[in-house]
Amino acid sequence: MPFVFGAVLVTLAIVLFLLQPVTKGLHASLEREEDELTETEARKRVALLALRDVEYDFLSGKLDEQDYRSLKGELTAEALAALEADEEARSPGTGALAELEAEIAAARAEMQGGVPCEVCGFTNAVASRFCSACGSPLPAPATG
Amino acid sequence: MITLGEFALWIALPVTIWGMVLGFVGGRTQRGDLVLSAERSVYAVTFLLALASAGVIAAFLGDRFEYWYVASYSNRELETFYKVAGLWAGQRGSLLFWAVLLSVFSSITMAMNRRRNREFMPYVAGVLQTILAFFVIVLLFADVNPFERLGFTPANGQGLNPQLQNYWMSIHPPTLYLGFTAFTIPFAFAVAALLNGRLDARWIQLTRKWTLLSWFFLSVGIILGMRWAYEELGWGGYWFWDPVENASLLPWLTATAFLHSIMIQENRGMLKVWNMSLVLLTFLLTVFATFLTRSGLIESVHSFAQELRIAYIFLSFMGLVLGGSIVLIVYRLPSLQSENRIESFLSRESAFLFNNLILLGAAFAVFWGTIFPLVAEGVTGQAVSVGPPFFQKVNFPIGLALLALAGIGPVIAWRRATRRNLQKNFLTPVVTAVAAAAALWLMGARHPLALTTWGIGVFVLVIIATEFWKGTRARARIEGEGVARALYHLVARNRRRWGGYIVHVGMVMVFMAFAGAAYNVDVRQHMVPGDTVTVSSPFGHEYKLTYQGLSVSSGRAQRNLLWQAIALVSVEEDGRSLGNMTTEKRMYTTSEQWMTEVGIRSSGLEDLYLILSAVDDLQGALNADSSAQGIDLQVLVKPLVGWIWLGGLILAGGSLISLWPSSERRRLEARREEAEEPVPAGVS
Repeated sequence: MPFVFGAVLVTLAIVLFLLQPVTKGLHASLEREEDELTETEARKRVALLALRDVEYDFLSGKLDEQDYRSLKGELTAEALAALEADEEARSPGTGALAELEAEIAAARAEMQGGVPCEVCGFTNAVASRFCSACGSPLPAPATG
Repeated sequence: MITLGEFALWIALPVTIWGMVLGFVGGRTQRGDLVLSAERSVYAVTFLLALASAGVIAAFLGDRFEYWYVASYSNRELETFYKVAGLWAGQRGSLLFWAVLLSVFSSITMAMNRRRNREFMPYVAGVLQTILAFFVIVLLFADVNPFERLGFTPANGQGLNPQLQNYWMSIHPPTLYLGFTAFTIPFAFAVAALLNGRLDARWIQLTRKWTLLSWFFLSVGIILGMRWAYEELGWGGYWFWDPVENASLLPWLTATAFLHSIMIQENRGMLKVWNMSLVLLTFLLTVFATFLTRSGLIESVHSFAQELRIAYIFLSFMGLVLGGSIVLIVYRLPSLQSENRIESFLSRESAFLFNNLILLGAAFAVFWGTIFPLVAEGVTGQAVSVGPPFFQKVNFPIGLALLALAGIGPVIAWRRATRRNLQKNFLTPVVTAVAAAAALWLMGARHPLALTTWGIGVFVLVIIATEFWKGTRARARIEGEGVARALYHLVARNRRRWGGYIVHVGMVMVFMAFAGAAYNVDVRQHMVPGDTVTVSSPFGHEYKLTYQGLSVSSGRAQRNLLWQAIALVSVEEDGRSLGNMTTEKRMYTTSEQWMTEVGIRSSGLEDLYLILSAVDDLQGALNADSSAQGIDLQVLVKPLVGWIWLGGLILAGGSLISLWPSSERRRLEARREEAEEPVPAGVS
């Protein structure tokens, strides 16, 4: 009776497999990953992403300078407000402006489009000849 | 083996119910042991359903005709390959096949998330087991058990429908089913997110790849189905707006909408309720597609079943899913508020939104056109049919608008576009498109809709090419790389964006090919050997076809073939010989009607398509009567059809690029495995 043998074997194996966690007290982790964004963090993230996209659109030539400046000014103000709100929510304090600058620099560097300043490390827009932050001359863009 | 398979199917039922209950209870009470058991039950069900499938295949291979399903879909003469494919040849097997594919995907999901996303997993396991339980219940209790025995053992089976004995047919259904079942995973995560309240963008990141995978299989499956219809059905078309074709198109449309709208949620924090609804809707539509195909509700080439009990079970399940989804969304409505709003009509956000509305509009039109005959028949008792003209009329403008958006979306500014932004990005593409349409018009292409389609196609292609060119150039300049290297790095760094653009190129090709149908040539002529028919191609050259004669032979190509009558036609193009083409009538031992095999000769731009429409004196031909050689030959010239398959390949390639894990992500994951501690999910 190979069938009966097979059936009994399969059933037993499955019952043991399913009951083992309960009888032996084996546990699956149920830990919640604490990377959930708070309301203000989500807003901050959205604002920074928008800034990044405007940078990309400008660098790839989809926005002209005038549109870029006006959109960026507006988005920067929004991002600043979002950052301050987030700071406020976490712990009352200052430094939002510096953080914003750092975030913008990071976003720019991520674009792979920027020219980093050799003196202060600030990432400048493509084809810049002088650093927007400290005024030092930038290396000439590589060709080829 | 077969009895063991049947036994495994019965055992699967309590196991799925066990997993369903323990998943939800374990998630609710946060008991890790119950959750572990629920997760294990997923693996157990996969094993059991695989065993059941192996049982069905064993029954086919062993010619066990005492099983109704085997007797109905196979016979002794059937090739081994098609016997294995018997698992999805008919309703009963394909329901089991659906379940086993879903269980495999479920197991992969469990294995991939052993250490990650743990707060989702109890509910994910619960939801997946609920759906699996539903399919097992259908298999066992809806008169569709593949292991059902006849009271006796017939000497031979009835054989497989000859139209299904085609290599495309053996991969088209599995591909489509992979697409349908893969979408259950995003659904499970969406429900889990609604249940555990984690409604930030996390569940979207977790399911994006699964959605893309499902979309990839759906697209490829649909295109394979078109290819099958084109080669096998013998009427020269590839899409007939058949209910079953429509049913596979519906989830494709909503899944496409979802893939676009999640970008809005990720980038702008908007459309949360909409995205949630799209996932639930798409899942419902995949079930609806299975239901329509496999319940026999609507008669079509694909539907073979007549049972009604299964229809009620499916309808109740869909009602339950729909009701439950609505309740959950309403319950979580406060957590699904938008973080932003759309500022301008002219912006990338609104382009995405239009894309979604259009896709949903198309889905609604197709859905309505598909079920209207049913509803009408139910109400009035009169059979009504909604033919291809309805679908074409409705979907053509929809398709054109969608196509145009594929060009507008990538370059229009976020938030709001100024006139300068529009000018800067659209002037060249629009001018090129108009110039291309004008050139085509001068070359004699005067069909307004076809010209519009091709113009819009050129517009989109110019925009995408410009995107690639600008990105590559910028990268080459900044990094000092060569063009090829810069292009490779550009795509590799943001596979999702560039893969998406490649998919758009494929879609443009497919649409341009559809428009080519406006120039189809269709000639039908009675011929005796030596007769010649001349057909002009829309591209200017002339085909001269000479009928050489009819040869009748007993079947050799396939074992179930009784005889084949082959018409030999020699082809010349502008005086240059292209060799011979054949088209046949075939009679199978397993069918009462003869089948037509068409002859297709493809060049890059057009297909020459021959159909042996009729044979004057078949009996005479079969008796090798040399005077019985008259035939009706139908000659079609089909411009651009080949672009559908080419476009399909490009589309598949593009989605694979999008699916491929990025190198950064792989590094991140490797590190995560080493450290075994959670790393915040990056924005991918």
